[in-house]
Amino acid sequence: MKHTHRIQHLFTAALVLAATLRPVPARAADDPRQIVEESDRRSNAKSQRYEGILEVVDSNGKTTEKRWAFMRLGSHGTSKTIIRFTTPADVKGVALLVVSHPDRASDQWMWTPAIERDRRIALQDRSTRFFGTDFSFEDLEERDVNQYDYSLVGDEAVDGAACWKIQASPKQAKSSQYSRSVLWIRKDHYTMARIESYVKDTLARRLEYSDVREVDGFWTAHRLSMSDVRRKSLTRLTLSKVTYNVPLTEDAFTVQALRRQ
Amino acid sequence: MLRLLVLVSWPHLRKHLLRTMLTTAGIVLGVAVFLGMRSANQSVLRGFTHMVASLAGKTELQVTAGEIGFGEDILEKVQSASTVGIAAPVIEAIVTPDIKGAGSLLIVGVDMTGDQSLRQYDLEGGDDTVEDPLVFLAQPDSVILAADFARRNNLAAGSQLPVGSVIGTKRLTVRGIMKPSGLASAFGGNIAVMDIYAAQKMFGRGRTFDRIDLAVKDGATVDACRQELRALLGAGFSVERPSTRGSQFESMLAAYSKTIEMSSAFALFIGMFIIYNAFAVAVRQRRKEIGVLRALGATRGQIQRMFLGESALLGVVGSGIGVLFGTLIAQAVAQWLGAFIADMFRVADQVEEVATNPWTLGAAFAIGVATSLLAAFVPAREAARVDPVHAMRKGEPEAATVLMSPVRVLSTLATVAVAGWCLGRGSNSAIFYLGYAATIAAAILLAAPLSWLLARIFRPVLTAFSPIEGALAADSLIRSPQRSSTAIAALMLSLALAVAFGGVGLANYRSIVEWTQTTLNPDLFVIPSQSLEARSIRFPDSMLKELTTVKGVTEVQPLRNARVVFRDVPTMLVAFDMKSIARTVKLRPVAGKVPDMYVEAAAGRGLLVSDSLAQLRQLSLGDTVELAAPYGTVQVPIVGIIVDYSDQQGSMMIDRSVFTKYWHDTSVDMFRVYVGPDVELSTVREDILQRYEKKRQVFVLTNGELKNYVIGIVSRWFALTSAQVAVAVIVAILGIVNALTVSVIDRRRELGILQAIGTIRPQVRHTIWIEAVTVGMIGLLLGCGFGAVNLYYMLEIVRRDVMGLHLEYVFPVSTVLMLAPAIILAAFVAALWPAESAIRGRLLDALEYE
Repeated sequence: MKHTHRIQHLFTAALVLAATLRPVPARAADDPRQIVEESDRRSNAKSQRYEGILEVVDSNGKTTEKRWAFMRLGSHGTSKTIIRFTTPADVKGVALLVVSHPDRASDQWMWTPAIERDRRIALQDRSTRFFGTDFSFEDLEERDVNQYDYSLVGDEAVDGAACWKIQASPKQAKSSQYSRSVLWIRKDHYTMARIESYVKDTLARRLEYSDVREVDGFWTAHRLSMSDVRRKSLTRLTLSKVTYNVPLTEDAFTVQALRRQ
Repeated sequence: MLRLLVLVSWPHLRKHLLRTMLTTAGIVLGVAVFLGMRSANQSVLRGFTHMVASLAGKTELQVTAGEIGFGEDILEKVQSASTVGIAAPVIEAIVTPDIKGAGSLLIVGVDMTGDQSLRQYDLEGGDDTVEDPLVFLAQPDSVILAADFARRNNLAAGSQLPVGSVIGTKRLTVRGIMKPSGLASAFGGNIAVMDIYAAQKMFGRGRTFDRIDLAVKDGATVDACRQELRALLGAGFSVERPSTRGSQFESMLAAYSKTIEMSSAFALFIGMFIIYNAFAVAVRQRRKEIGVLRALGATRGQIQRMFLGESALLGVVGSGIGVLFGTLIAQAVAQWLGAFIADMFRVADQVEEVATNPWTLGAAFAIGVATSLLAAFVPAREAARVDPVHAMRKGEPEAATVLMSPVRVLSTLATVAVAGWCLGRGSNSAIFYLGYAATIAAAILLAAPLSWLLARIFRPVLTAFSPIEGALAADSLIRSPQRSSTAIAALMLSLALAVAFGGVGLANYRSIVEWTQTTLNPDLFVIPSQSLEARSIRFPDSMLKELTTVKGVTEVQPLRNARVVFRDVPTMLVAFDMKSIARTVKLRPVAGKVPDMYVEAAAGRGLLVSDSLAQLRQLSLGDTVELAAPYGTVQVPIVGIIVDYSDQQGSMMIDRSVFTKYWHDTSVDMFRVYVGPDVELSTVREDILQRYEKKRQVFVLTNGELKNYVIGIVSRWFALTSAQVAVAVIVAILGIVNALTVSVIDRRRELGILQAIGTIRPQVRHTIWIEAVTVGMIGLLLGCGFGAVNLYYMLEIVRRDVMGLHLEYVFPVSTVLMLAPAIILAAFVAALWPAESAIRGRLLDALEYE
């Protein structure tokens, strides 16, 4: 059986890591791979909507803010997502369509209303920063659980919550800018609490999840903070009006639909 | 050897400082012109190569389809190739910002979401991207500017930059400043980067890209990637390393390069003549000294080496100074040439610094020294042959000058015969150039007898003008024709060069003016930007219908022109409605039947080529031409060869329907508009302008305005010809000053004798003046005569090897009329100081002089 997990998926539920209230199988507690798979399973929703506030704080402390409306159909490797920016005025109407594939990088299109053009975003260098934020395009991808080797490093609390500390190393076939990542998964509802990503044993990025609340049966982090350790900058995403399993149709997730304001 | 140089040569060179300086000046000029012209040319090429390299970044291969570009669908095809790592589309446009003195600005449109993997956007403030990339993409007015351009024009982040676009002047917002290195150093720092999709809209490019830059996937080789893409895309696309653009650019500049090289070669050749003359006179003067040295045991070889050593010394000094002056000349010429080529081809980089290639510097220096040695070889050999007994006899006259020795007569006859034989067999290049060389040699050999003949013809005139001084001057020239023949030959060659350059320029100018009269006959021309060569901004074809409905308009012809790669060289392709053009324009056919050629071309069964292209690429009527396009290969015969000056490297003309079919490009560079009789042109013009006001940037030129524009461009090209004429004139003046100075100094003893037998000083002075002016006039006459022949050869060279143009023979009377007073004046001025020196010195010194 093929699994994907979304270690740092911005567009899909990865940013909104959720967990069902179903009981946890006992064997998951000591097998790092199963912990990750369980975390993945618990965030599996048919669809999702939310409104996000994205704040980028540069190394000088200067902050820029953008807001967007988010909707996703499906989950994990087969999801389709549309993000439409709502403020500020100079980016209002800009929209992104992301079509995920379980076996390859996602397809992405961008709509720019000022020139009435859609463009395909060719994610050829996945280490590129995502539109000036501290996320790279690779950080936004859903990752196949099978493409990593996991090892349980130990237990460690994050903000007072007990967590499993798991190291994920990409397998040889997997191309990644990161040499390894360390994941903190909460023991209470299997949501991600923190991810640290390393480039050649040097910490490159840290993603922290907070304000975890249950929404429609999914444990959802409402605040995410990604810091780029090298650039000394920070990107914060705050979620509001989160809903799951809302009625959405396939035709709302096409390039044609992207053009509709 | 060194001792001889120190003990004998050095004091001699110091004693005759003026002559030494003038001789050295010949080398300085030759080397300076050679280096200056060559370095200027290299600087332009290097500038372009630098621009290509700066723009390329980490690009390993570039996918192009000539200047026309291709649809966006090609990008996905390229990205799907298994060996392609990163593929980023690019469009380029050269615009003139609406800022006084800003110059041209190269706008590079890139896809910022993927391009940073290929190019570093090193921004001021230490960031690798603009402050807000999403705003940059969302706002089509966003632009990143190079620091150099920003500073020169007082622009900073947030400033507005007004630039012409397809919809009129657009105010771009500066959202980042690039540090002045890498990409930002291309095009002399006059570079800006904007979003490619915004650039498409801004410049009316539709959904096309100019090229795709790509990096090969890790583990794949560049060759493998190139092969995969060639198979995937077909013959209509070129997949090459960025450096290939440099060689294509070089081939486009072939005409300029050849012209410049010809000037350099002539400058050196005439410089050699000046040196020869100086040494020939020196050997005559130093006969006694040579005799003493020989009597003291110096061998012939030592004497020969001593003179060659002197020439080498002068060569080293002259070449060194020439290199310095050459660098200065290169600076001035390179900037002019760079700006001109940037305007003409819209591709060249701005020349910020002159290429100081050590090899070129070394070559110029070595050529200077070698030329000096070569020029001194014959005089040095003559010096070695001096008989010491005769040389040391006091009062022994200089060896009797023989007007035409048997060897000289035979040589002259042989060269004339070779030149004549070659004349009828000019189809072979080697024979043609042999004939040209033989003609030059014959002209040089004939200079002495013709000078003598002309001096005899002038004698009655000079005597009538001034009975004593005129007769003395004429007799001096008749008695010793060899003495002044070198000066006259140098003058003749220089003037012949000036006449030839002037003639080619004039013929070219007249041909182009005639072409504009027959071809550019519409009443109005509607263009999208002020520059006709820009082609950065284009019209949509929908304007054709709109313009047709303008009251008073009877016919509208859309025209698209762009360079495509034909046999590895970018070649101008002009697409228009053949039927319509055949109806309105009388293109002068060189081969092919009118109107059949138009009918065939209109049906897509053939194409027309310009006679220049046919000549340069060896094309004939009926030859099949293959033009690989993005959407198939045009494979049609040449149905007509016509006179056309659309492009200096020649052009090909196809019907617009064929162009649209194979290039999928319906955009238009220019609309040719015909207006009905009795219709006020200004009214139609106003109607067109009003129709597009605030909707589209439109310029409407009247027939006269367009012709003036074209002639303005042509005139700029002829500025180079004028520079060549100027070089020839400077060489001529230097030659005559040198030769006359040397000649008068040489005759100090003779002039002393004249004074000793009672000639008064003013008479001697006037004699020298008259003789100098006569030498100038003879040189002028012979220069015009040989110039007339030289012009024939130069026109042939232009036709067969430079531009392929059949230019009519027109003798440049105006150039000669301009040159004549300058040359006569130069001859007169050249004689002033030597004349004073000759008459003011001690009589005894003069009589002792030798």
